[in-house]
Amino acid sequence: MKLMFYLAVGLVYGFLLLPVIMTGWSSVATSPMLTFPPRGFTLEWYQAIPGEFMTALKVSLEVGFVTTALATLVGVPAALAIARGRFPGRAFINLFCLSPLMVPTLVIGVASFQFWVRAADLIKFNPGGTLWGIALAQAAFTIPYVIRAALAGQANFDSSLEEAALGLGASPARVFFRVTLPMLMPGITSGAIFAFLMSLDDVPVALFMGGGAATTLPVKIFTSIQFSLAPYVMAIATILMVMSLALMLALDRSFGLEKFFGIRQTTR
Amino acid sequence: MNCNHEDTANSACCSLFQSKSDISWRASRWWPLAAVPAVALLLVVFALPFLLLAETSLHVDQGLAQVSADFTASNYLTFVTDPFYLQILSRTVAMGLIVGLGCAILAYPVAYFVARSDGALRACAIFFVLAPLLISLVIRNLGMFPILGESGLINTALKWLGLANEPLHLMNNLVGVEIGLIHALLPLMVLSLVVAIQSIDYEVELAAANLGAPPLRVFFRVVFPLSRPGLISGSVLVFTLATSAYTTPVMLGGNRVLVMSTFLAKEMLNALNYAFAATCAVMLVITSVLLGALVLRNSERYGAA
Repeated sequence: MKLMFYLAVGLVYGFLLLPVIMTGWSSVATSPMLTFPPRGFTLEWYQAIPGEFMTALKVSLEVGFVTTALATLVGVPAALAIARGRFPGRAFINLFCLSPLMVPTLVIGVASFQFWVRAADLIKFNPGGTLWGIALAQAAFTIPYVIRAALAGQANFDSSLEEAALGLGASPARVFFRVTLPMLMPGITSGAIFAFLMSLDDVPVALFMGGGAATTLPVKIFTSIQFSLAPYVMAIATILMVMSLALMLALDRSFGLEKFFGIRQTTR
Repeated sequence: MNCNHEDTANSACCSLFQSKSDISWRASRWWPLAAVPAVALLLVVFALPFLLLAETSLHVDQGLAQVSADFTASNYLTFVTDPFYLQILSRTVAMGLIVGLGCAILAYPVAYFVARSDGALRACAIFFVLAPLLISLVIRNLGMFPILGESGLINTALKWLGLANEPLHLMNNLVGVEIGLIHALLPLMVLSLVVAIQSIDYEVELAAANLGAPPLRVFFRVVFPLSRPGLISGSVLVFTLATSAYTTPVMLGGNRVLVMSTFLAKEMLNALNYAFAATCAVMLVITSVLLGALVLRNSERYGAA
């Protein structure tokens, strides 16, 4: 019975991890694509990555940085206002800021596309098809995560430290920058890293808001495999995967994955 | 008495500090200003586009991405009366249910394993559940190709075991999409169940076992019923995300599986029918989100927790 249980656990872990492993494995194999098991070893697919895919990777990173900066810069102050302010409408603002999570990203992408097309008639400016267009639309679904993470980092905040600093004569601004902000940093960092990962993951929004020179790597992979699947796609995908894993380790270090996903074990 | 005195003194002292901090931090009238940038940005990049989309769905397409001036509900009437669209809708809901069920079955062993382990093993177990979740979906779908393909892992294994003469078609169809979505959303179901299972006192399981219940019976009579809130919230989350997913249905469906999301994208990109695409988008939100919210609400009302 116990054996059956561990077998089941092992099989499910296999199912979870196998596709990730297969991407990496296929990227260094010499055997034809899509056969199992991949055979041989070569790095030629990494050299064969076309320039347009490398450009797309660069675009992805740029979009990721802009989206993350945008979401963090507006999200963190909002989280502070929600957590600390005592004003009417606070609950509504909280709900409003988290509401994009209720809408599929595909719908956000389509809505943004149509919105900017119509707005362009009025303001003679359409960010669609540019890096900024993608980042603006991606901000819609990353801001809620930044706010959530900042609120989580705020949850067991010991405000007596601030009071002590104030009592010892520090000015409120000094207290904010020397006490409050450093204590909130783990929550802010993890929110930013998660926002970056979400941006790297996104296809629907980048598909509708991007295009031309503003094509991100996931979109490039997504559209290219609809025609054919070349081995170098596995190679560039592996590069992206390694980047994501590095960011994930950073997230684990800065905040702890268990705490970030709210599964920390309470002592019984 | 003395003790009481001290308490009062303490609380007085506390409230003194509290009021001071209240003045400088909490009661500040300036806090709402900190929320202004986020609210303003979300208005422009989310709320207005979404409202405009809902408004567009009330017009009729006039070809070449143009819509009529007058308001009408005819798009919605078409959607709910035409069997073609109803079939897409029912296919989407069925897919969401299958993916939810698949995730639940696969998630229980792992969730139990994580919830009942500790230390380095637990950290490791959690890392390997979350690692796929944080890796770009495009990459995970790519990794499915060598597994589900005609000469992929599953078909090779089946042939080797002599279980199948002809390769199974596991890709470029609805089955492939469902397998891909189960893989994509499984970590979320595991997370939800871990929270529920680790809140069950292990002593309860021990008591049941001591009273002679075999392990499977302990699971179905103790762990399963007590973890139901986690199962329900996890299933709703998975159903919502499965029915609204776009990337996986295209990549593993070979661009020919018609569900709400893929049909909506086709209306936008190929048919250039903005009005009907907007209608589909609103219907998608209603199906995926409102259905889920309804289940959650009812389960709370009827005390599933």
